[in-house]
Amino acid sequence: MSFFRRIAAQWAERYRKMSIQMVLSLSFTAVAAVGILLMGISLIWRFSSASEQMVAENSQRVLAQANLNLDSYLRRMMRIADTVYYRVIKNTDLAEGSYTDALGLLYEENRDDLVSLAVFDGQGGLVSSVPLSFVKREADPSHSDWFQAASRNMENLHFSTPHVQNIFGDPDYPYRWVVSLSHYVQLTRDGVTEGGVLLVDMSFSGIEQVCRDVSLANGGYLYLIDKDGELIYHPRQQLIYAGLLEENNLTAAGYRDGSHLETFQGQSRQVTVKTVGYTGWKLVGVAPAASWLTSSPSLFLFGLALLLFAIFLMAFLNFLISARIADPIRRLEQSIKELESGRENVVIEEGGCYEVQHLSRSVRSMVSTMRHLMDDIIQQEGQKRRSELEVLQSQINPHFLYNTLDSVIWMVESGQQAEAIQMVTSLARLFRISLSKGKSIIPLSDELEHARHYMNIQQIRYQNKFTTQIEAQPETQGLYTLKLIVQPILENAIYHGMASAEDDGHIRVAAYLEGKDLVIDVEDNGLGMRPEVASSLLDPNRPQERGSGSGIGVRNVHQRIRLTFGQSYGLTILSEPDEGTLVRIRLPAFTREEALGRQQGEVL
Amino acid sequence: MRERKSKVIEIVLLGVLGALALLCLAAPQLFRDRKQLQLLSISVLLRDTDTSGWTVARQGMEQAADELDAELRFLTLTTYSDGAEQEELLLRELDGGADGLVLVPADPIALPAALLQRTNTCPVVTLESAMDGSAGTVSPDNVQLGRQLAQALLEDWDGGTVLLVNSAPGCTGVTERIQAAQQTLEGENVPTKRVRDLPQSGPEERWVMTFDASSTQHTAERKVTEEFSFALYGVGSSTAITAQLEQGTISAVAAWSDYAAGYLAVRQTVEQVRGTGEELAPLPFSILRKEDIYAPENQKLLFPIMSSSGR
Repeated sequence: MSFFRRIAAQWAERYRKMSIQMVLSLSFTAVAAVGILLMGISLIWRFSSASEQMVAENSQRVLAQANLNLDSYLRRMMRIADTVYYRVIKNTDLAEGSYTDALGLLYEENRDDLVSLAVFDGQGGLVSSVPLSFVKREADPSHSDWFQAASRNMENLHFSTPHVQNIFGDPDYPYRWVVSLSHYVQLTRDGVTEGGVLLVDMSFSGIEQVCRDVSLANGGYLYLIDKDGELIYHPRQQLIYAGLLEENNLTAAGYRDGSHLETFQGQSRQVTVKTVGYTGWKLVGVAPAASWLTSSPSLFLFGLALLLFAIFLMAFLNFLISARIADPIRRLEQSIKELESGRENVVIEEGGCYEVQHLSRSVRSMVSTMRHLMDDIIQQEGQKRRSELEVLQSQINPHFLYNTLDSVIWMVESGQQAEAIQMVTSLARLFRISLSKGKSIIPLSDELEHARHYMNIQQIRYQNKFTTQIEAQPETQGLYTLKLIVQPILENAIYHGMASAEDDGHIRVAAYLEGKDLVIDVEDNGLGMRPEVASSLLDPNRPQERGSGSGIGVRNVHQRIRLTFGQSYGLTILSEPDEGTLVRIRLPAFTREEALGRQQGEVL
Repeated sequence: MRERKSKVIEIVLLGVLGALALLCLAAPQLFRDRKQLQLLSISVLLRDTDTSGWTVARQGMEQAADELDAELRFLTLTTYSDGAEQEELLLRELDGGADGLVLVPADPIALPAALLQRTNTCPVVTLESAMDGSAGTVSPDNVQLGRQLAQALLEDWDGGTVLLVNSAPGCTGVTERIQAAQQTLEGENVPTKRVRDLPQSGPEERWVMTFDASSTQHTAERKVTEEFSFALYGVGSSTAITAQLEQGTISAVAAWSDYAAGYLAVRQTVEQVRGTGEELAPLPFSILRKEDIYAPENQKLLFPIMSSSGR
């Protein structure tokens, strides 16, 4: 049982690994092969039955013809016997004449079929005979089977089984095989009737000729037995007599007329029996039962070839059909695999039958929906980032605005009208550039202009405690940059580096190209800070401290640049206590076209 | 990968089916050719000068040849039981490409030596006498035959020497019969004498035994023509011998079915050529006297039905 389970498990495993085309083609082929084989077996069975029937009919027909011939032959012999009896014996008184002449005439007329004609008296004494006229000295006809059969049953004619006639003396000792027909007759001698026996010895070859040329289908043969089963004729009679062959003749004697199946010496065979009218002899036709298959292997092989060819054709058609069914599914699977591998613009074909088409459409629709959803997600993510940036930017404006306005108020209150006007003018320029029509990427020149105005405001506010130098390499002309990234750095430099300075504070802003990057350095000569403090300023996890110079502006700039251009850009802060601080801003060097494309892509 | 494997399986399956179909179509032709090539050529070498004494055996041989797809060539000697001539004939048949030989050896001692020198040998089945290297011998039990024939004589014997005629001293089968008969007779204190043939003037002994069919027929014919009065005990079942038995010329014969002997000899030869032969059993034989001839079983033994079909 576990063996079958293991086999079933193996098949199930194979089934799981098979392609749909292989499953379809093998299943169809297996079913077709089983169907064709069943049909073939059914045909063979029907053919065998029909052949068996045909053989039986053929045997019966042949036996009927042989029976006619044999019956005709025997009736001719019987007519000879009747002629001898009614024309010769009844009309002849032995005291006055002899039968010899009349018997001689009859013998001559039928010498091909007759061996001898003889009449014996009741004691077996020879009355008359042809062609031999004397009986052997030792012979005793009255003890012969044919004589006794005739004497026992006086009404009928009797036919013996084949034997060698040994009564008559013949100097040549020819030893002829005969079948003896004997009949009780009444002899007339001197007007007195007495019993006697008429003997007609038929040549065995006459019977042999009747039976010999009869052939049955499929190598079958015919033999003749008497009512007791004793063999009269058999095509291999001498082999049977020599003990080299056996025949089922005694069993056949018990068969009724018709066809029977029997097994003899391990061989199944069909036996057809026909009783020969008067004698009770039986013609037996034997046809090997297996003959219609084994005797014609070529026919069997031809049938087998047809079956195999039919299976071949069915398998070929199955392979074609299954390929036609499975190909669209396989292509669909291939498309899905390509989608899985991340390839874009995959074409999903619609082919095959309705279900596969429907499936393809569904997959295509699903992919389309998925792409739209992904686009939506990307767009939403962009909007989200923009919102975040806007929030970051909004963190700058109130802070600065508050400080500047505070300074303007202070200057107006102190009567510094000119400085207040300059400060407000710079503030106005500053906000104009800040707005920049909502653009997030602006020309570098505007950004530096923005820084310059900012520094103007701060210089007024801090009463020129520091100087400012803003410069840009000519190569940076026409480049674009993220908006409002210099001002927070300057703000930090002022609050950390310049607030406590005397009048020697200096802040330098320099823009230049480094490879494909645009670098803007903001350097001051202020108090500086320890390097670990400088590096911690950009840490996003650093707790926020409210108030001026908390570093929030610097971190905001750093985050904005990284959000916009990636992790390889942003700020670097280099500082040493009492040495000053250098904040280096690194950006991709965008031309106008790239900046416009960036704006339209709406990453920002 | 999977598609390629599927394609390979499909092509292999189609190829196998197609090849099987073609094989089935071609097979009948192959079988027919093979069957046609199976007709065997078998030579039958007798030690007699004609085949008259072998008519019945020949019928049996032809029956077997007909059934087993063989063709026969009957060859006789110019001189009765001439071993040298038979050897020459045998070698000639071997050179002629005979597939098998049925041999009634004139000299079963010398012939094996001649056969051993040849590389192109074939199965040889002997009748009457066993021979070294043969594929079988079809004969009755010669020793038993000699004994029982001697017993038949002893039933009639009333004194005198028994003449044992050995017309074929080279035949071991015949010699075995003679030796067994001689031992049996001498065991009963019956004097015996061996001769090659009857004396020209006729034997003085009243009892004569012959041990092969030719010798029996020949002796019986001389007994009739020269009116000898000895009692003859012989071997054989030919029509002539049976007639002599019926007439009383021969007192008793050891008889077996020549038809069966001929049939078995050819069948054994064919089977040996095809490699399917089995051990042969001795042929059954009977000691028959005049009064036994027409018993139904003996009729079948002594008087074979001569088919008019010419088979």
